[in-house]
Amino acid sequence: MSLPDPDLTQRSHAALENRVLQGALKAATATFIERRREAITSVSDWEALRQRARQVKEHTINNLDYYLERLVEKVQAHGGTVHWARTGDDVSRYIIELARARGVKSVVKSKSMATEEIELNHALEAADVRPVETDLGEYIIQLAQEKPSHIIVPAIHKTRAQISDLFEEKLREGRPNEVAEITAMARKRLRNEFLSAGMGITGANFAIAESGTIVLVENEGNIRLSTQVPKIQVAVVGIEKVIPRFEDLSVFLRLLPRSGTGQKQTAYVSFLNGPRQAAPESGFEFHLVLMDNGRTRILADEQLRESLYCIRCGACLNVCPVYQKIGGQAYGWIYPGPIGAVISPQLQSLKQSGDLPFASSLCGACRTACPVDINLPDLLLALRAKSKESGSGKLSERAAMRTFAFTARRPWLFTLAGRMMRVFARLLTREGKIKSAPMAPLSDWTQYRDLPAPTGRSFRERWKKDRHE
Amino acid sequence: MSEALRNLDQNSVLDDVRRALGRSAGVTPVPPSPLEPFIEPTGQTDLAELNARFTKEATTVRAKVHRVSDKLQCVDKIVEICSEDKGHEIALSEAEIFAELGLASALAAQGFSTFAPGEIDHGTLVARLANCGVGVTAADYAIAETGTIVLNSDEPNALLVSLLPPVHIAVLGAAQIMDSLDGVIGKLSRERINRANATRSVTLITGPSRTSDVELVLSIGVHGPKALHVIILDGRSDKL
Repeated sequence: MSLPDPDLTQRSHAALENRVLQGALKAATATFIERRREAITSVSDWEALRQRARQVKEHTINNLDYYLERLVEKVQAHGGTVHWARTGDDVSRYIIELARARGVKSVVKSKSMATEEIELNHALEAADVRPVETDLGEYIIQLAQEKPSHIIVPAIHKTRAQISDLFEEKLREGRPNEVAEITAMARKRLRNEFLSAGMGITGANFAIAESGTIVLVENEGNIRLSTQVPKIQVAVVGIEKVIPRFEDLSVFLRLLPRSGTGQKQTAYVSFLNGPRQAAPESGFEFHLVLMDNGRTRILADEQLRESLYCIRCGACLNVCPVYQKIGGQAYGWIYPGPIGAVISPQLQSLKQSGDLPFASSLCGACRTACPVDINLPDLLLALRAKSKESGSGKLSERAAMRTFAFTARRPWLFTLAGRMMRVFARLLTREGKIKSAPMAPLSDWTQYRDLPAPTGRSFRERWKKDRHE
Repeated sequence: MSEALRNLDQNSVLDDVRRALGRSAGVTPVPPSPLEPFIEPTGQTDLAELNARFTKEATTVRAKVHRVSDKLQCVDKIVEICSEDKGHEIALSEAEIFAELGLASALAAQGFSTFAPGEIDHGTLVARLANCGVGVTAADYAIAETGTIVLNSDEPNALLVSLLPPVHIAVLGAAQIMDSLDGVIGKLSRERINRANATRSVTLITGPSRTSDVELVLSIGVHGPKALHVIILDGRSDKL
């Protein structure tokens, strides 16, 4: 979790100048928006469904202790092992110890934001346990040693030609040209990994409290292979993933695929109750690692608590005018888009990613797209306020705000300053607009936009003169 | 390292959760009153309509749906599909219907070698299944709304047989097609999940394995089967 070297503005500039990325983002977000729009029309009352999902999430998060206890009891009753992890390091340590104790040399992993979040792969590699990402997009990202750029399609920033180059260089089995050839090459490679791995590591989309069921949603079949082929299965699950009842799935399994990929249903949904065989002598093991890693901090804030309703569908990314232009990697960490701008500063720190909530036009498209109706614009505003309160703003900005506060409390000074500003502004006005201001923070504004020129008279002058007319 | 692990009180995270919610640590809260059930109104129950809708939706996601009117036709259809690739073993799950159909001997009579995994070591099982050409299982239920079939681990080895070979054939009784996801989730909840000795795993399958990870181009058969055949057996009102 190191601080990304270039800041958000620099990362955004780099993204905007990357023509390949711009083309890929435009195509991907437009496609996903269209597919989602079409998919939600197949549900009779989409709005009722999402309000129900929100209600279930709100209820569960407000009673999280109760539901977590039920989940743990049930998983243990199935013969599974539960480990609580306060930090990402706790998760990694547990998995490494387990791997060592069982003599596991390689593990197959399916796409999991939770394990991305804690950089589990680095920890495993350092401990001489080889992690293999098996989702095609994640496999590409792992070969390229990059970070994912989208929650649903991690390698969306890469072209087919770039992936062909990458496979040719890293796999040394010739150059796959067509997408089908790329897929076939990955299938062959990864099949061997599945058959030889000693452990499969997954996340979870949902964990059912009443039945101790782990629910996994996917298209490729790599999650099924990760959970059914190696004898030891580990699910790393954020504590917010629990929902009360199995029947609640009829709501969430309708919302998630339609919001994420625009499918009515993904190719596979797996429901897992503990190890594949209950008898300990069978050698099958199931480990549920329940991870906090900053989530209880979010839970403690009654307004921000809502961030924990997220089901990681990625719909808010696709509709966000900022994400559409800068893509996922510019967000600096693994959670991009509006939801990333909300949870990254909370899971990391305001110091590390407190600039993200400002990268939003607050247009509200994210909230409209969200399948659990998270009030993302309000959360972004709340985090902006927190970020400023914590003193992370620029010096010039803070000085300007203090000057304004001082001036605004003194009517004579306010009037005088207003007059001076208007004179000053007139000097800078060209064709009715201020196109470049000489100093920060105004110059930050005019670097990208024109400032409309002020009128000749102040509001108070107009009020005095015009109100009797 | 292990010292640090052992020292982490196993309930400390749960206590953090309780404190974050404004409750005292170590106290189990009273069960919250559950939300009212939310079930979409069930639409169609007419078998022909469900069958037609299931076929349409499954075909849209590139499954191949076949309808047969008796056991003999069912066996013929399975033989026909298996004939597309003669070089490999055919894996059969332990569904009761296969004994009833005499499937193994019918396939053997056509020159196929079949593999019915019984009590066999897991490593050997997965390696052998990975080399099979076709896997044949029954299906528990189907969902017309999405063209989905439901498999579960109470049918021994069904999940691996449906996963490792490149072609999966699932045999489904016509009466097992339900209208919507809600109906199947409710049934699974009662019959498989929330019962003593719960089913270990259940899988919903909607079309063959797929990915759109490269330039959003659809590619079929990335890790799971490249082809999915669903054979709907008419006139069966029981579970297979």
